[in-house]
Amino acid sequence: MRFLRLTLMYLVLALLLAIPACRSKREGDYSDFYQSESAVPTNDLFVLRYRQKWHPQAQFAGVYMAMDKDFYRQYGIDLRIQPHTADSLVFSTLYNKNTDIAQMDILSGIMENKNGLKVVNIGQISQKSSQLLIGKRSRGINSIEDFNGKKIGLWRTASHYVSRIFLAKENLDMEIVPVNWSINLFTSNAIEVINVMRFNEYNQMLQAGLKEEDLFIADLSELGCNIPDDGFFVTKEFYDQHSDICKRFVSATMDGWHYAFAHPEEALDLVMTLMRKESIPASRSHQKWMFNEMRKLILLPDRIPGKLNKQDYLRAVSLLQEFYLPVKAYSFEEFCPGD
Amino acid sequence: MIKSSREDKTLAYQLITYVFVLTLVAFIVVTTLTQILFSGRISKSQLENMKHLAHERIYLIDGILSHVENSLEMMCFSLSALDLDNEELEGLISVAIKKDKHIHSIALAESHADHLSARVFFKEEDGLRVNVIRDANYFYEDWFQIPLMLNKPYWTEPWVDSSGSGELIISYSAPYQTEGVRGIVSIDVNLKELQRLIIDSECLQGGNSFLVSANGTIVAHNDMSLIMNQSLFSLADEYNEPKLRELGHKMISGETGFFRIRGSNIVNSRHIYYQALETNGWSVGISMKNDVLYKDMRIVLLTNTFSAILLFLIVALIIYSRAHALTKPLRELSEAALRIGGGEFDTRIPDSVAGLEVATLSQSFRFMQESLLDYIQSLDITTYEKEKMRGDVIYAGEIQSKLIPDNTDHPIGIKELRAYGILEPAGDVGGDLYDYFMIDEDRFCFVIADVVGTGIGAAMTMTMASTLLPSLAPFYTKSNELLRELNSFLCKTDIEANFITALLGIIDLKTGILQYTNAGHMPLYIRKLDGVLEKYSETHSTALGIFEDLNIGSEEIRLNVGDEIIIFTDGVTEAMSKEDEFFGLGGLEEVLSALLYSNPENTARAIVSRVHDFAVDSKYKDDITVLVIDYKHPRA
Repeated sequence: MRFLRLTLMYLVLALLLAIPACRSKREGDYSDFYQSESAVPTNDLFVLRYRQKWHPQAQFAGVYMAMDKDFYRQYGIDLRIQPHTADSLVFSTLYNKNTDIAQMDILSGIMENKNGLKVVNIGQISQKSSQLLIGKRSRGINSIEDFNGKKIGLWRTASHYVSRIFLAKENLDMEIVPVNWSINLFTSNAIEVINVMRFNEYNQMLQAGLKEEDLFIADLSELGCNIPDDGFFVTKEFYDQHSDICKRFVSATMDGWHYAFAHPEEALDLVMTLMRKESIPASRSHQKWMFNEMRKLILLPDRIPGKLNKQDYLRAVSLLQEFYLPVKAYSFEEFCPGD
Repeated sequence: MIKSSREDKTLAYQLITYVFVLTLVAFIVVTTLTQILFSGRISKSQLENMKHLAHERIYLIDGILSHVENSLEMMCFSLSALDLDNEELEGLISVAIKKDKHIHSIALAESHADHLSARVFFKEEDGLRVNVIRDANYFYEDWFQIPLMLNKPYWTEPWVDSSGSGELIISYSAPYQTEGVRGIVSIDVNLKELQRLIIDSECLQGGNSFLVSANGTIVAHNDMSLIMNQSLFSLADEYNEPKLRELGHKMISGETGFFRIRGSNIVNSRHIYYQALETNGWSVGISMKNDVLYKDMRIVLLTNTFSAILLFLIVALIIYSRAHALTKPLRELSEAALRIGGGEFDTRIPDSVAGLEVATLSQSFRFMQESLLDYIQSLDITTYEKEKMRGDVIYAGEIQSKLIPDNTDHPIGIKELRAYGILEPAGDVGGDLYDYFMIDEDRFCFVIADVVGTGIGAAMTMTMASTLLPSLAPFYTKSNELLRELNSFLCKTDIEANFITALLGIIDLKTGILQYTNAGHMPLYIRKLDGVLEKYSETHSTALGIFEDLNIGSEEIRLNVGDEIIIFTDGVTEAMSKEDEFFGLGGLEEVLSALLYSNPENTARAIVSRVHDFAVDSKYKDDITVLVIDYKHPRA
């Protein structure tokens, strides 16, 4: 009897302690998503700093969901999401140890290793290219050949590599205009063609009043340039020291994505809350589009979610070497040591 | 239920139902006509109002923006045409900023990569502040890159001035060319200035005004959550409302017009007037909910509805009270009729002043009441007379019953036979007769007769016959002779109800020989000691009293000890069941066969009892007479 009473007492005590913890999570306080690096780490958890590629949006829904559902903690990780920085500085933050994991596109990772194996891929979000080149039919763009002699807006930072490979591969002579992330140069007719991500800028165009039938779309994934976009990168040094943590981070993140795909509305609610908190213009319909496109990029029938495919890597290296820059090619096992 | 169904049939209920249906039909017709005839007109005036509201806002916003455009044009001219040094340039910008309160800042940026320089001039309380930007990021900002590439002025979408105030601004930028330097001059306007003009409105009760940018982004709206977050196209996606997308295309194309959206979301059931600004191509929209637009018409419809209900209630009330007043005398009349029906013939029929029809009805009732009273009076007299007559008849019946011999164990003191008779007249007096008497010392005479007909006449005939036969009998030795005499008598009296069927028998008590005559009567049965029935159905003449010269025969039967003679009238065989079946000779024979022992009383009662059971529910009644004589033994 005494044992039973004690057990019951502890159970009640545990419940009382658990209730405020649950409540605080439900009230939508997501301040711990972007903890400062000086935040006190939770005992026995590995403090891991992850730098996003861009501001909060559905592109990272899996990470947010994993945070919200405490998946990282369950994998022994106290994750700190760091705000995005300029593409050119991402890898520097890894080298100067301000960041442990960075999300970048594969080509940038390969390019980064041109002078020795400095960064390795520990996991892959996107399994195919989402890049499109879009031209206005009203400006005379009805085929890829029509690109010749026209102005094309390419992102001025890293993500333009696929488009450059494509232009070289197709032997297109275009005036390249470096652009920021705005589509207004295109909508104002200052340029005829622009590179966009299907999951983001393409829908932004449609939501800025452009009609699908008025656009000529070159889908690079179907035109011999299917190079996956974003993966997770760490320095080789960090990987050698913390390979298990790297695996656990990817597992928790993919668990987050799977949960998000099973509960899309909950995931969208979370994304919208985070965007509003950061005062970022956000429409649910656009985030929904992005989320659905992310599903198509992550869950491919012939790819393992969360892992870089060897053939995709080899194709990326080959295209880069042939059409853009003769980089040093490391083996898949060296570039992606987790497998 | 019964009560409600009675109420359903009342005059007031039927009239009110009729009026209700009529009012409803009239209301539907009037409402439909009102909607058809007036909706266009009411909408038109409201839509004109919306148009006016839009023009007002466009005028104010275009006023600000065109002023900015003029300032920029002047500045470009000054920069390109005049060779200004830095001090003069700042002076010019300072004047422009101070002169125009709507200008938030002015940027001057060079495009040459070797001369990375952008200066942003802000208005401050104590003068002018200048931010100098030396990184190349501004090269890729819309306000710089687009006008430079287009080589013409350009209005940007709203953007956050993160290097300055951190607020949402829009910029009007244009390229300039000085000696050796090409650059962009840009004037920034705080978006709040424009939002205030759109949102601040007291004339928009039930409506909204909003401003969309060149790519459809909502830049000003009462609902702050939409601003910069949604475009008309993203809303169209979110609410799956293609009409909203259509509106978006019209607005960003610089069109002007009215648009209607039906739906059940944030843009539900609205009329929208839209018109583009003349300066930057943005578009102002004024939206009104349909229920606001149709407010006046709704008031008309509400008034119609209220009037229809009121009219119906008033008419129903009038009908009810009038119908009640009209039917009151009818109800009183009905109550009076019920009382009269219940026997209160002196009930007063109420006088009616309600109307000619009801008054006529009252008069008819009164006439009927008087006629009824007369009838009752004459009925009383008739009843009295009838009762008196009945008393006579009953008395006559009693006398008649005295003529029938009493049932005793030894009739007329004779030991050789037993006799038991039952006569049940159908009425107070009967037309049947049975009798027995001694003609002389050894001869026992019995008779049963049935007068054709009923009532007093038959009773009288029977009485005559029953008194005549004993007085005639001593003068005749044969049964047929006796009946012949009776026939002669009956024919001579020549009264209407004097036809008689009769069966008369004379038993010689010494010899046991029965000599009998059946004059058109029912058969005679003899039940032997062993229960065997003998039936003697032969008649020896027709009924008596019809033909004067009637040839009447007779027959002789030797009686054995224990023989039981059973004679009866047609009241036994013609007794009718409720299924209209006769008791018949079969029924009688059945009774006789079932008897266990011979006993005149037992036999007579058994027959009559069975006949009663058989004809228990029959409407037809006839005199029932049974006479049973048991020959015990010959006289010694």
